[in-house]
Amino acid sequence: MLAAILASGLAVGAVYALIGVTYNVMFSASRVMSFTSGQLGMLGGVLGAMFIARLGLPSLLGLAATLACCAAVGVLTEIVAVRPVLKSLEQHLYVLSTLALALMIQQVTAIEWSTEPQPFPRLFGIGDGGPTDEKFWLPLLACAVVVVGLELLYRRTLVGRAFLAIAEDNFAARALGLPERNLRMASYALAGVIGGLAGFASGQLLLAFFANGSMLNFYGFVPVALGGMGNNRGAIASGLALGVFQQAANFLVGGVFASVAVFTVFIVVLLVAPQGLMGSPSVRRV
Amino acid sequence: MTITRRGFALGSAGALVAAQGLARPALAQGEPIRIGWLAALTGPSSAPGIGFDRGVHYAVEAINAAGGVKGRKIELVVRDTQGDPTKAVNAVQDMISRARVHAVWGPTNSGESLATTPIMARAKMPNVHPCFVDSLIDPAKYPNAFRMAPSNSQIDNAVSDYCIKNLGLKSLAVVGDTTGYGTTTVTSSTAAIAKRGGNVVYKGTIDPTQPDVTPDMLRMRNAGAQAIVVWSVSPGLCARLMNTRATMGWDVPLVGHPTMGSGEVGKLIAAPKNWEKTYILGFRNCSFGADGKLPAHVQSFVDGTKGKIQLDDTILWWVLDGVDAINLIARAVQEAGGTDPAKMVAYWDTVTKYPGLYATYSWSKTEHNGLPDSDIVMSEANSQRLGAYKLAPGYT
Repeated sequence: MLAAILASGLAVGAVYALIGVTYNVMFSASRVMSFTSGQLGMLGGVLGAMFIARLGLPSLLGLAATLACCAAVGVLTEIVAVRPVLKSLEQHLYVLSTLALALMIQQVTAIEWSTEPQPFPRLFGIGDGGPTDEKFWLPLLACAVVVVGLELLYRRTLVGRAFLAIAEDNFAARALGLPERNLRMASYALAGVIGGLAGFASGQLLLAFFANGSMLNFYGFVPVALGGMGNNRGAIASGLALGVFQQAANFLVGGVFASVAVFTVFIVVLLVAPQGLMGSPSVRRV
Repeated sequence: MTITRRGFALGSAGALVAAQGLARPALAQGEPIRIGWLAALTGPSSAPGIGFDRGVHYAVEAINAAGGVKGRKIELVVRDTQGDPTKAVNAVQDMISRARVHAVWGPTNSGESLATTPIMARAKMPNVHPCFVDSLIDPAKYPNAFRMAPSNSQIDNAVSDYCIKNLGLKSLAVVGDTTGYGTTTVTSSTAAIAKRGGNVVYKGTIDPTQPDVTPDMLRMRNAGAQAIVVWSVSPGLCARLMNTRATMGWDVPLVGHPTMGSGEVGKLIAAPKNWEKTYILGFRNCSFGADGKLPAHVQSFVDGTKGKIQLDDTILWWVLDGVDAINLIARAVQEAGGTDPAKMVAYWDTVTKYPGLYATYSWSKTEHNGLPDSDIVMSEANSQRLGAYKLAPGYT
């Protein structure tokens, strides 16, 4: 029983964490919370199923095609829903523009793909549905790959440092000659890849279903708020904890009460630490 | 004789009245019988509408090809409601006031019907529909509305009876999805089980997008459930319940909503054996017996319409119910001697054991639920062929 709760809790938590990181990567580059993050996760599952199960591509090629498409959707988000509203960030118009794009993505998927969940193909054929099944550890593996990849990117590469620079202070970064707009687009493409990977890795668990987008938008935002805006480590830790807590609550109180339990904890944590558990309080110079 | 202006005016008026009196029966005899068909033919809940539509068109063509009803051809007035109650209300108002239909078949889902039934009652429009919600049928409030499908209470009773009487299992878990339908049906099903002496050891709802239902099923097993009654229209949730049951090695029957027998569930189960021991609501006339055949009159219809009605991508009862609806409206016109709404309703009030394809219908002045309980059975979920299912164990 404990093994089952831990396996599914950590798997779902890893997906929430990755969607949280997707939010963060977009936020760092533009100070915009883009509500297309969950839809990127949904697209990862749907496109993966389409490329591999319907079009018959080999798994690796299917993964590459899925990530490329999700990166393109990330760039599209930047061009269509973010760039036009950047000049008036304080009006929070991005909430409307990104939500509108997210809804469009969801509706197009429902029309062109299916309104019913579709199966996602088995990738390795390991496990028989129990706690050691690939559907449970693949999201964790994807999470580990993203953590290591982002660490290497941000700490060891010039482009990664440039990302950090615009995240830290984009005026100063621009003054130093960094191509802020291109870097922002690259960040959105990177976010698309991370979101797509989350959906692809969890395809067997969540199925290729158009309605997963809004669910992931919702639960993926919780680790961002709990971990602190822009804090990837916080998002990963909070996401995993959220998944395990949610599954434990499912077992103990069940059904709709599990969601109530999750959001009760969420509100309590934010009351105690409004900046998130791992975020630092914002300081305003006077 | 001098013709005065007054005499001429009176004579003309008299001639006009006489001419109208003569012309009216001739016009009514040649006038087509206009049947309004409120169908959800597009949109997310269109699958039943498309199935019903095939039966409706087949029946209309068959009657017209045979010369119509007393020489009057049937004309369908179809409006696609897209499953939207607002569109259904507009469509029914248009049918009543502009298209001037003589009877209406539909809508085919309860949400729409809840909105249109009072409108049709005010217009005294003869109406047959296949919607399940109990409150849609009330001969005092809606004397013009007749049901050609089971009510929710009949469905609850059939499922409870099957678990308790046929399978001999009394400790039951009742689960539904978190939609309005799932939540309300869990409550009504629990009451039906308790009424029959069953013991609901677990009752709950599950979000259709919940990725893993292991915690919920562990709770059901720990509560001592011998069977799980499932009320969900989500193929994803149904398939997850079946897959998790197999992973847990829990040999417990799943009984309930027909979604568990849909082709979408078949795509989502991890192995064909996960689909076994799952029983869904079905209908005796649309079920294969032990000999692999449907009841004789239905089998002969299916054989006779091969190539004319596509059955492999729909559910047989939807098609047959569509055929029966048109036949019952045509029969009402025939028995009433025309399209007078009061006379058509009066005929339906006397229908006793009408041998339809989908069911044997009976209505009376005080009972407008047409299906007898004996026509409602359970079927094996994994046995779909030509839109019909095999009878579940325990029936002869």
